[in-house]
Amino acid sequence: MAATRTASRACEIFTTLEYGPAPESHACALAWLDTQDRHLGHYVNGQWLKPEHRSSVPCQDPITGENLASCLQAQSEDVAAAVEAARASLENWSTQPGAIRAQHLTRLAKAIQKHQRLLWTLESLVTGRAVREVRDRDVPLAQQLLQYHAVQAHTQEEALAGWEPMGVIGLILSPTFPFLDMMWRICPALAVGCTVVVLVPPASPTPLLLAQLAGELGPFPGILNVISGPASLGPVLAAQPGVQKVAFCGAIKGGLRLLIQEAVWDETMRRLQERMGRLRCGHGLDGAVDMGARGAAARDLAQRYVSEAQSQGAQVFQAGSEPSDSPFFLPTLVSDLPPASPCTQAEVPWPLVVASPFRTAKEALAVANGTPRGGSASVWSERLGQALELAYGLQVGTVWINAHGLRDPAVPTGGCKESGSSWHGGQDGLYEYLRPSGTPAWIPCLSKTLNYDAFGLAPPSTLPAGPETGPAPPYGLFVGGRFQAPGARSSRPIRDSQGSLQGYVAEGGAKDIRGAVEAAHQAAPGWMSQSPAARAALLWALAAALQRREPNLVSRLERHGVELKVAKAEVELSVKRLRAWGARVQAQGCALQVAELRGPVLRLREPLGVLAIVCPDEWPLLAFVSLLAPALAHGNTVVLVPSGACPIPALEVCQEMATLLPAGLVNVVTGDRDHLTRCLALHQDIQALWYFGSAQGSQFVEWASAGNLKPVWVNRGCPRAWDQEAEGAGPELERRAARTKALWLPMGD
Amino acid sequence: MHDKGITTAAVCVYPARVCDAVRALKAAGCDIPVASVATGFPAAQTHLKTRLEEIRLAVEDGATEIDVVINRTLVLTGQWKALYDEIRQFRKACGEAHLKTILATGELGSLTNVYKASMIAMMAGSDFIKTSTGKETVNATFPVAIVMLRAIRDFFWKTGNKVGFKPAGGIRSAKDSLVWLSLIKEELGDEWMKPELFRIGASTLLADIERQIYHHVTGRYAAYHDLPMS
Repeated sequence: MAATRTASRACEIFTTLEYGPAPESHACALAWLDTQDRHLGHYVNGQWLKPEHRSSVPCQDPITGENLASCLQAQSEDVAAAVEAARASLENWSTQPGAIRAQHLTRLAKAIQKHQRLLWTLESLVTGRAVREVRDRDVPLAQQLLQYHAVQAHTQEEALAGWEPMGVIGLILSPTFPFLDMMWRICPALAVGCTVVVLVPPASPTPLLLAQLAGELGPFPGILNVISGPASLGPVLAAQPGVQKVAFCGAIKGGLRLLIQEAVWDETMRRLQERMGRLRCGHGLDGAVDMGARGAAARDLAQRYVSEAQSQGAQVFQAGSEPSDSPFFLPTLVSDLPPASPCTQAEVPWPLVVASPFRTAKEALAVANGTPRGGSASVWSERLGQALELAYGLQVGTVWINAHGLRDPAVPTGGCKESGSSWHGGQDGLYEYLRPSGTPAWIPCLSKTLNYDAFGLAPPSTLPAGPETGPAPPYGLFVGGRFQAPGARSSRPIRDSQGSLQGYVAEGGAKDIRGAVEAAHQAAPGWMSQSPAARAALLWALAAALQRREPNLVSRLERHGVELKVAKAEVELSVKRLRAWGARVQAQGCALQVAELRGPVLRLREPLGVLAIVCPDEWPLLAFVSLLAPALAHGNTVVLVPSGACPIPALEVCQEMATLLPAGLVNVVTGDRDHLTRCLALHQDIQALWYFGSAQGSQFVEWASAGNLKPVWVNRGCPRAWDQEAEGAGPELERRAARTKALWLPMGD
Repeated sequence: MHDKGITTAAVCVYPARVCDAVRALKAAGCDIPVASVATGFPAAQTHLKTRLEEIRLAVEDGATEIDVVINRTLVLTGQWKALYDEIRQFRKACGEAHLKTILATGELGSLTNVYKASMIAMMAGSDFIKTSTGKETVNATFPVAIVMLRAIRDFFWKTGNKVGFKPAGGIRSAKDSLVWLSLIKEELGDEWMKPELFRIGASTLLADIERQIYHHVTGRYAAYHDLPMS
């Protein structure tokens, strides 16, 4: 009888006290795949799209290697069809009252709730992640994201009155975690009224399932479209007419870097190793398992890193061992890696932890900030003051104190440096998909003829052009608090509106840009640590100085061809702007209250660092001041290239800044604008670049800035109405002049 | 499984009932030890002299295990040395009897205090540390348990001595007891998964375990009245 057979099994367990497997059946996932005949296509406009004559890619279980289904690989026509569907549904979706969109998102959250078992089973099966992680973290988070953004949609008309949805959003996902990454981005996009086309890497069924759940809700079928295809389709998606913005999420390696103070090194290592010994690897769908596997590629990456680290002298600890043909890679602790070794700079792959010692908090900060990554970090200390000091000093987007990995839809998640500059979650996440009301939609006008290698490379030589008429402008490049001669030792003529020579300004070049950026970096720590009141006082002093210079500035503008009345108004408005930004200088940000967490999460606003600005030709004085003021107000130091046609008012302002501002706070370099733009865009130690020039220049800036992923703001050749409050001094400037940091402070004793 | 010797680990009674309990178990031919609470259980708010005398009397009457309650005043005022001295005296009064020290964690105010009290109790010679009397408003919770288990592990790493753990209060279902078992396994390992080092303090739990066994064997859910009263 059954009793005797199971009785012997109970006997064994009674002695060994081992965990039994708790397998989750993957029948429902397979049944869903069967509804598509194990052949997945794309989901566009509320229907499955299975175009003919396409190659397909197998979707395999990363642990057993079993073939689960085959996924179609899209081609450009499919992408175009998806964008068309998104565009067709945009008008309807974006003009709905926020309450309707809120309702729709809530219904999607309910649909996820009803089918959560299918969702987590499919995700765990296909990605190999432990089902506990997907079931207890990812799926509830997906529901919470929808719920939070439904609330945001509901209040959009009042809370976001001056902003409108961007339009059709393209989303390119990475091969790791496509499901949750997608949720973080589509929720804010859909909530504010955009429609979405998602390009998922092949063999990712979960986003397709989600699209199906969304499509089957009934109304608004085309708002979420999912195409599965190779990364090479990314540019195709970006180039589609109608796509206003492409959000890109790169692959995250997933390993951790651990910095341990020397005094507690031994204890910590011992506890780590003990804990590692208890982690269980197994099939993702086993509920008793702590970690699964992520496929052969991830495994090989981890193995390569370990071998390299060992060859560089590191100690490697693994609790137990796996045969070399096993799909699993055990959690590994790497220590004693020399600080100068290449492995220390490289991103740590999953599931490795690299441990390094430090002595003082200052050293820890230097080590932690010494990599190009700027995502998230956690600080573990019982001394609140010390923990906060580290938290403020870390150059990352999120810091947890005495916790790790907490996420909430209301808290913005993002980063700096090479972790990118876009945000998801919270208010910051919403602004990614909004633009100020009345801004025209972006029409792709990429010039295929732009030669990135040649743009601005060699400035045309300048020759003397006759005697200067009128008072000579202040001469030199304003770097490090004083006027200096340019490295090239030459000048360029500036003509007035009549064509006669007004004066010569210095011809700045690459070396001068380098010097200016260095001077700005030197001044940065001092300026960042100024209190908001001190910054405000400085801006007001500059405003007063400008006011004293009014006749001078007015005459310079008149010579440039500006009418007397307009010139006076320009100077007056410039003074006003300086005072207004002084008054607006932000104290560190406000605190959020996150619902489930016991304890506050602070949303801090921090300076970007060194901000480079290429000023427009329209409104030469006003634009210069309107851009300079918010940058300074938020604690940045600045390198500016003034208007090409009329740089002299800017130089006059520099004369005032020489006496009022600390050296290096503001640096102004005149010269060939394209050449200087090239130098700034290619510079890897500038934290943000604002470019107001030509369309070609804008294209170059965006392309070149990808080198260090600095945030850019370009005008694509369109002039801006600097005298209008909305464009000259609006919330967009405030948003762009600083970056956010989320600081989590869980309570408890 | 009927020859595996599965029983409760002890029967726990008030000091006045120790004699009767010993006699009754002897008459039933059962060698389960009798444990007695002592030191002014559950509030421990009596004079030290009477608390020590209680222990001695219980041991005389035949109790082989003693459950003492620590003096929470000493914890709340930070008098750690005095706490250590008191528990040393309890230890001495127990003699050969097995000493379980109840921390009454619900009354200690903070997890930091729980950790410190656990360490003191172990340093003073306890064989087991126990979360609660079962009579507080908050008894055995998982956060408190983790703190105590980590203290046991730290003590083992520093001295090589293994001290046992007993959660008590609020554990009513077999499912709960499985969670506790897996907690011990995760935090301390398989060596602690035996009655010499891990006990659960409960009364209704026994009936629920019996019902689970009944279901496993027969495939049916038993009613409470199908099983003997516990």
